[in-house]
Amino acid sequence: MAEIELVGLSKVYPGDVRAVDSLDLTIPDHEFFALLGPSGCGKTTLLRTIAGLEAATEGQVRIGGEDVTALPPGKRDLAMVFQDYALFPHMTVVDNIAYPLRVKGKPKDERREAASAAGDELSLSGLMERRPAELSGGQQQRVALARAVACRPRVFLFDEPLSNLDARLRLEARSFLKKLQKELGVTTVFVTHDQAEALAMADRIAVMDKGKIRQVGTPKEVFQRPVNTFVANFIGSTPMNLLPGVVSGDVVQIAGQELPLPADVRDAVSAGQEVVFGARPEYLVFSPSSVPESLQGEVTVVENLGTAALVTLEAEGLSVAVTVPEGAEPELGDKGWVTTTPGRVLIYDGADGELVGSRVPAATAA
Amino acid sequence: MAQTTSPATEAGAGCPDGPGGPDGPGGVDGPGGVDGADNAARSTARDPADSGETDVVGLGKWRASAFVAPALVLVAIFLVFPALWTLYIGITNYRLTGIAARVPEFVGFDNYVRAVGDANFLNSLYLTLIFVLFSAVIGQNGLGFALAWRLQDVRGWVRRLVESLVLLAWILPSSIVAFLWIALLDRDSGTLNALLGTPGLAWLIEYPMVSIIIFNIWRGTAFSMLLYSAALASVPPSQLETATLVGASRWQTLRDVIFPHVRGHVLTNTLLISLWTFNDFTPFLITAGGPDGRTETLPVYIYNTAITGGQMGYGAAVSLIMLLINLVIAIFYLRLLRERR
Repeated sequence: MAEIELVGLSKVYPGDVRAVDSLDLTIPDHEFFALLGPSGCGKTTLLRTIAGLEAATEGQVRIGGEDVTALPPGKRDLAMVFQDYALFPHMTVVDNIAYPLRVKGKPKDERREAASAAGDELSLSGLMERRPAELSGGQQQRVALARAVACRPRVFLFDEPLSNLDARLRLEARSFLKKLQKELGVTTVFVTHDQAEALAMADRIAVMDKGKIRQVGTPKEVFQRPVNTFVANFIGSTPMNLLPGVVSGDVVQIAGQELPLPADVRDAVSAGQEVVFGARPEYLVFSPSSVPESLQGEVTVVENLGTAALVTLEAEGLSVAVTVPEGAEPELGDKGWVTTTPGRVLIYDGADGELVGSRVPAATAA
Repeated sequence: MAQTTSPATEAGAGCPDGPGGPDGPGGVDGPGGVDGADNAARSTARDPADSGETDVVGLGKWRASAFVAPALVLVAIFLVFPALWTLYIGITNYRLTGIAARVPEFVGFDNYVRAVGDANFLNSLYLTLIFVLFSAVIGQNGLGFALAWRLQDVRGWVRRLVESLVLLAWILPSSIVAFLWIALLDRDSGTLNALLGTPGLAWLIEYPMVSIIIFNIWRGTAFSMLLYSAALASVPPSQLETATLVGASRWQTLRDVIFPHVRGHVLTNTLLISLWTFNDFTPFLITAGGPDGRTETLPVYIYNTAITGGQMGYGAAVSLIMLLINLVIAIFYLRLLRERR
């Protein structure tokens, strides 16, 4: 168990490709931390640099207060679970789990004991003498976890460990993994490209793009108050509406219409400033009849989400998505009016996409 | 006449003739034979399902046979007939010259009995085994693996240079490499003596066996290197990284992760190069079996007795014995390969 600290960490590949760009990050002890981002954002490179599989170009990796930047991976006291599980096909489950201990030169009895303890913990007790090829995907994944657990490391590193499971199993594995991490209390860094997975499992999330961290926060913070349009766009199973507009007094003009400017940012913007008006479909209200302070449009798409429908309105070339509870879905071609929920609107600067007034801790982030 | 012994010596002379190919009247090409068996098994399993649908082109049996016939005739003339002919003359006292050449007499198994008791034959067999063990099983295998292992993370011109040099030794015709090695090892104006400053040392006379062993390692390492490069590339990187993360040493990684993955490749490679080296005729071009029979491996021995010595009957018998030894080697490796899957 240990804290992980990254100080000015960079990883530069030949050709000046900055996969990780002077990154500072502290992951406290016992935390379940997710690195989230689109493919190619550098999240896996960052994980591999923490592991020592990639050498850092600049900066430091500190684990438990100790600088491990120059240490080989084997001396960093961490365990990694790979996307393909990396089980040795020629070894039985018990040998796979005990392998790290064998390398460490532990006696055979101790190895078997630790392996069967870890196997029990992950409900593998009946499968210990099988080969990986004789196991299902979910079982293989648990063997890989058991191998990581058995050597009691200070840090777990997971590289997309759930992506090879089918959808239903993935949901089970999520809660299982979260519970396991809480029980063991081992500091865990988890790489994923699936924002739902990160939101569901992590204590804190770092959203990465092009080698830089764009936002660090709890799932709630990252979901409710993305600090820039990149994060706003990336987080959420239905993408946030990001509508370009111009500030005009107490309103924002969007596609020739007007929506009220939230009170808490009125001081932070000036009239005529170009902004991006951000609101999640879940936080917008659809109305089939005209209401004040609303955006009017025509229904062009209705997608069924199960308990609700995602309705897309077209308003002068701009599309706005809004969720409508079941039973109230409009027909295609209907007129519709959309109003905002107070406190759920985010205003981003039109030039750099940063959240306006983000320095002020807002009530919405509660 | 020289064709008569071709089935045995032909396989020997063409050392680097690819992976055995579908030639070889016997089972010299072990893996090929296995593939054939597999295919046969598969196609018979498939046949009942689409019986009646197999004649997709609609040629009919006779016209289809006509298309295959020329190939079959060639195979019969150049493979089946010489093989049967070799079997036949192996039990006669057939010679290249003299009375026995006109009226060969049937001698039963005399040739075989004579071979088993012949000190020259046994010496040749011994030399061949030494040659195979040191130049193929240890030399080519070991050096090929070492090169492949070392070149794993090497990219760019260094890799291309090493690969080209090694491959060059493999693709040059036997006659040319033989000339190169004779020039290298020559007593009076040889390159090696000039390099080592040992003028007048006759390598091919003082160390004939060592010379041809090193020659054959140099010649054949390319195949092992290429095969092992491919094998090493097939080891999943995540497994290697898992080993690295738990702190396994290079040796532990090799033993626990890499070797189990490439075990099948090692056996296949060893089988192929053993058989090729066993049948290799190229040493003849350098030493002609000399001095005094000290490099007379079996293919050379057969050539020297049957063609140079004119004892065709006896040579044919030894050829068949050699074929049987090849079979035994092949079966041994294949057993090993199948057993511990």
